Amino acid sequence: MEDYLPNEYDVVVVGTGMTESIVAAAASRIGKKVLHLDSDEYYGGLWATFNFDGLQKWIEDLKVSKSSAKDVSEVDLELEEKFLKTSNEYSTVENIEETWYISNDADLPVVSSKDTQTDSTGDGSGSGDEKSDDDKVEKKENVKQWSIDRIRKEYRKFNIDLAPKLLFARGELVELLISSNIARYAEFRAVSRVATFMDGKLTQVPCSRADVFANKTVSVVEKRMLMQLLTSCMEQGADSPEFDGFRDKTFLEYLNTKNLTPIVQHYVVQAIAMATEKTSCRDGVNRTKHFLNSLGRYGNTPFLWPMYGSGELPQCFCRLCAVFGGVYCLKRQLDGVVIHKNKCKAIISGKQRISLEHLVLGQGHLPPEVVASEGEQRISRGIFITDKSIMQGEKENLTLLYYPPEQPDQEPVTLIELGPSTNACPQGLFMVHMTCKRTTNAKEDLAYVVNKFLKAEPLDPLAIRSSIHSHTQTVSPDKRHIQEGDQDNREESTEESPKPQVLWSLYLNLPASDIKLNESTPSNLHLCSGPDLELDFDFAVNQAKSIFESMYPDKDFLPRAPDPEEIVLEGEEAPGPKFEGDTEAEEKQDVEKAEKED
Amino acid sequence: MDQDVLTVLKLLMIGESNVGKSSILLRFTEDEFHENMQSTVGMDYRTKQVTIDGNTVKLAIWDTAGQERFRTLTPSYYRDGQGAILVYDVTDRVTFMKLETWLNELNTYCNKTDIIKMVVGNKIDLPNREVSTEEGLQFARRHQTLYIESSAKTADGIKCCFEELVQKIIQTPGLWDRHTLINSYGNGNMGGVRHRGQRGIQLADDTQLYNRPSNCYCSLI
Repeated sequence: MEDYLPNEYDVVVVGTGMTESIVAAAASRIGKKVLHLDSDEYYGGLWATFNFDGLQKWIEDLKVSKSSAKDVSEVDLELEEKFLKTSNEYSTVENIEETWYISNDADLPVVSSKDTQTDSTGDGSGSGDEKSDDDKVEKKENVKQWSIDRIRKEYRKFNIDLAPKLLFARGELVELLISSNIARYAEFRAVSRVATFMDGKLTQVPCSRADVFANKTVSVVEKRMLMQLLTSCMEQGADSPEFDGFRDKTFLEYLNTKNLTPIVQHYVVQAIAMATEKTSCRDGVNRTKHFLNSLGRYGNTPFLWPMYGSGELPQCFCRLCAVFGGVYCLKRQLDGVVIHKNKCKAIISGKQRISLEHLVLGQGHLPPEVVASEGEQRISRGIFITDKSIMQGEKENLTLLYYPPEQPDQEPVTLIELGPSTNACPQGLFMVHMTCKRTTNAKEDLAYVVNKFLKAEPLDPLAIRSSIHSHTQTVSPDKRHIQEGDQDNREESTEESPKPQVLWSLYLNLPASDIKLNESTPSNLHLCSGPDLELDFDFAVNQAKSIFESMYPDKDFLPRAPDPEEIVLEGEEAPGPKFEGDTEAEEKQDVEKAEKED
Repeated sequence: MDQDVLTVLKLLMIGESNVGKSSILLRFTEDEFHENMQSTVGMDYRTKQVTIDGNTVKLAIWDTAGQERFRTLTPSYYRDGQGAILVYDVTDRVTFMKLETWLNELNTYCNKTDIIKMVVGNKIDLPNREVSTEEGLQFARRHQTLYIESSAKTADGIKCCFEELVQKIIQTPGLWDRHTLINSYGNGNMGGVRHRGQRGIQLADDTQLYNRPSNCYCSLI
């Protein structure tokens, strides 16, 4: 059954990824008639976030190849019109590998509630905090064993991102969300720590004054050194004469001239600039500046994470598009586009021919004829459900770790660890996301980081039993001291600290985000790329902005949408929602229905 | 004024197109009715403060923005909803039959398992009724929801619908939290109460509100 859609629009957008959704919202906001389609039944495309069940379905559906679009012969064309079939080949997800490391309920040993309580104490032993052990003995936490059945049963408590991304607190997306008033549809968590791997262990990079003072690894002299360098990046910027001699040199070469101690240099390169040996001085300075700029706005670090996952954000823009009259239809296939004299005139979707002024296509809906290069920036992803944090602390953390390559043939890996308070997973679990540029396949590309920080081996039911047994012993009061002693040692050599056990993992390769179109592509056909390799959403926001500017050069890009209280509506006369000024207008009686500007 | 508010509740309007969701909403919040209302454009959500049993609560009632037309409401629409108003048109049996689907969708995406549901048979002022009160009641009983019949045109049952729903929510412990309105400026930013006080950060223009002192390297100098 196919829904009948009105068949004339200013803008037709196909695909509900980040860029597509921003463009759709921007066009609708200025009164354009927008149709927004997606062939999938969910929002977000490759930017989507799924619960556990939804993810399983997504994986299943990938195995079934989608029915191919119709042939030219089936389409009624007018004189001089050309039909181009669209293809989903540019959104192909590859090398999917899903693994369970735990058993089903039936295979688990029976665990009494007393045992589980002590088990939680054992888990806390690596926290490096003496106090917490005592606290945890008191706490009657319900720590049932995790089984495959239990994870499946609690599927709704998972929000699993295909393309997890952070927002810089003063990045493009945050500013856009605020200026457009779309921020009201979303909520965020601040990333609570930026971690780095130094001298064989993970440490927290000091981002705040309190952090810096509390940090014992950095001496007073080093603190001053760090401040001086950061100030010059921050205040002078990449164009300052300070960096004149380094225009064609790397960031590392510049830093080497500053006589920094290894620790300070490490912080700057690996945590703040997140740079590699190849990063240019200019990029390094800009990245440092970006990081520093975003400090102190919302939390302890420069980063925000969207509650319920990155997939929420395209939906926020779709909502705004709909509020201003955009028409939404999911599970609706785009068969092809009709070209007339180098202009895209219409799309064919099922039995309908829908005419348009502008066509905005996600990369999963491009006709191969317009593609010049398939791109090279492919992405390797790893997703892991674990039983504890990679770096245990007193409270739940949201952690960002940038891990530079160990070998020349490896790529730097970005690791984001989410806890239950982001709604990524239920209490007692963590969700680890790894992302890097693809060289071979996701599993191989990420293996060196997985092995470093996680225990990705099957958990033998017998092993569970024995570990519970030993934990029961360690909590006896007289042994607790010994344990504390252990922790002190661990401060120096973290190698001993138990790695998080992986309960479930998923590897996948996402398509390239740098597809290029032909010179001869109709100028009213606009490409929206899939998720890119960068940590944030800036690429998508900027792409959406430039698409909008090329469509409507004289119009405002997502001006602030009024709050409901600000809207005064007057049936026929009002050309659009007006601002009322008086925001305390709840009890107002003269509010009328909104009428969209045509 | 906000100091006396017990809590903010997020209510959702759900149901087929043209059953009168926006009309019910407008009748309740502004006491207005438009005979030939076009489909919902520009309607995001409306707010209204009500006092029930001596408790003053602020309601943020979300409309579908027309996204229900091809059953494409975003999952994020349902997030943190504490009450849902499922509307059908008593003169159109199809809209009544589709309620089942809407209830399923609500149960799938709503992250609060104890969300209070109210089924509303609207347009009882019209003569050509197709769905009887008894059928409506039966449906409500089967799905353990509240039930009321209404007319946005005559205002019949509208106030009652919201009052009963809010009353039931207030009586359900764990569904809402007493909290002060952090984001009460502009009355804009509200999505209801988050579970166990774990509110996320809402982005706002006024950074002062969130600026904890000296969270920056620069403050060291």
